[in-house]
Amino acid sequence: MGSVARVSRAFEMGLREYARTPVLLALLLFLPVYFVGIFVYVLPASEMAITVPGDGQRVVATADLYGVLLIPLLAGLIGGIAGLFLMQAARDADGRLVLAGYHPAQVIAARIGLLVVASVVATAVGLAVLAVGYVPQSLAVFVAASVLAGLTYGLVGVLVGLVLGRLAGVYTMLFVPMFDVFFLQNPTVDDQLWLATYLPGHAVTELAVDAGFSGSVALDPFAQALAALAVVGTFATAAFYRTTRVR
Amino acid sequence: MTDVGRADRISVGVGAAVRAFLREPIQVAVLLALPLVVIEGYGYAMTAFPEFPFMEMNAETMGRLNGAIYAAAFLSGVMGLFQVISAVQADERLQLCGYSRAELFVTRLATVLAASLIVAAVSLAVLLWRVDVAVPTVVFLALTAAALVYGLLGMLVGAVLPRALEGSLVLVFLVDADDFLSSGMVEIDTRLVELFPLYHPHQVFQSAVDGSIATGDALVTGAYILCLLGVVAAVYVRVTGNGGVLRG
Repeated sequence: MGSVARVSRAFEMGLREYARTPVLLALLLFLPVYFVGIFVYVLPASEMAITVPGDGQRVVATADLYGVLLIPLLAGLIGGIAGLFLMQAARDADGRLVLAGYHPAQVIAARIGLLVVASVVATAVGLAVLAVGYVPQSLAVFVAASVLAGLTYGLVGVLVGLVLGRLAGVYTMLFVPMFDVFFLQNPTVDDQLWLATYLPGHAVTELAVDAGFSGSVALDPFAQALAALAVVGTFATAAFYRTTRVR
Repeated sequence: MTDVGRADRISVGVGAAVRAFLREPIQVAVLLALPLVVIEGYGYAMTAFPEFPFMEMNAETMGRLNGAIYAAAFLSGVMGLFQVISAVQADERLQLCGYSRAELFVTRLATVLAASLIVAAVSLAVLLWRVDVAVPTVVFLALTAAALVYGLLGMLVGAVLPRALEGSLVLVFLVDADDFLSSGMVEIDTRLVELFPLYHPHQVFQSAVDGSIATGDALVTGAYILCLLGVVAAVYVRVTGNGGVLRG
């Protein structure tokens, strides 16, 4: 079997495993409706002043702002929990796949492919719910920022899955992206905590807010987001290698 | 069996549940860290929120109050859930060993009550750090009531969905939505919100922080807890009587 065929077979099996895990599917469908429903459709109408990197000071509807913040958050939550489950599954199965002849790089490529799919689907479902009330101005950049958030947190989830069990890991991957993207990166906070700049949600949230409210997006945060992805990705790849190592 | 023997059995059961909890470092870490993170996190987040005209206190304080109720209710809810999951696995065997069903039920309830008191105390301690509370005793009782309501609801969730991960995820979002909608942070036109489990504890809690006592809401909270107790008792009997399967 060729290398591409092996990766696509492992990827397909991973997708089937994802589809067979009801809690992951339930989160994928429930979280967008829950978050966007609560924050966008229940919040009273009001406006807030924020600084949009590509467009200066802007006054935006509070519901629109929280809607825009929620999509990278949702991608981060769902990507993070998917990453955690992947690592737990990898502990059981990937070593055996390598023993059966797979190269570790093939297994890792299939696993990371799954994280990309989870992030894209989470972004798509979240955007579909948000689009009933608001559509981001630079849609393509907004989607890219949200998928990057999902992928970065997916890889963080992989690392968390190394050290924590399933229950503690899920709690961690629920609360960490929430505090990072929703609280610490919130553009309406005047004095951001020093810690906010160093968290995985920093650049992707800046990019998403910019794309949400501006037609001319400042692309500097893209480089920062890709750098954050590269750092987390390096650690996560090393972690995957460790689990696939044949003893 | 004598009354002394019965009391001993119940205290042994509660002690065993507490030891089982303390044996998991992650649970102890969550108990201590979650109230701090949630109360301070909600307070910090709310500094960014606009102060809507219908809000009765400043947004930062409101965030901290919501965080305190959330931490108490969620932690106790998870404890209630784990009690039922544990009961499904163990209580029928304990009955075979001589425990009566009433003793086992009281043991489970006493554990949830003890958990409610502990999480309420931890949440109040964190809250007092940054918020001036006018009547701390009533605030503590309101937090305990919120914790107890969700401790019992956690037991019901555990009866329907006896799985740690799925059940606790249900509780995360149930408590979150209830806390948010019951707090008065958003203006809701329907009186349906008054039926939410945290609505009346929130009223007692917020008024005690300001210095008054909402007696009517306290009475409704008491009645709510009694009703839940009845439902939980009925569900417990069914769950432990059918090999862990809830039957209609």
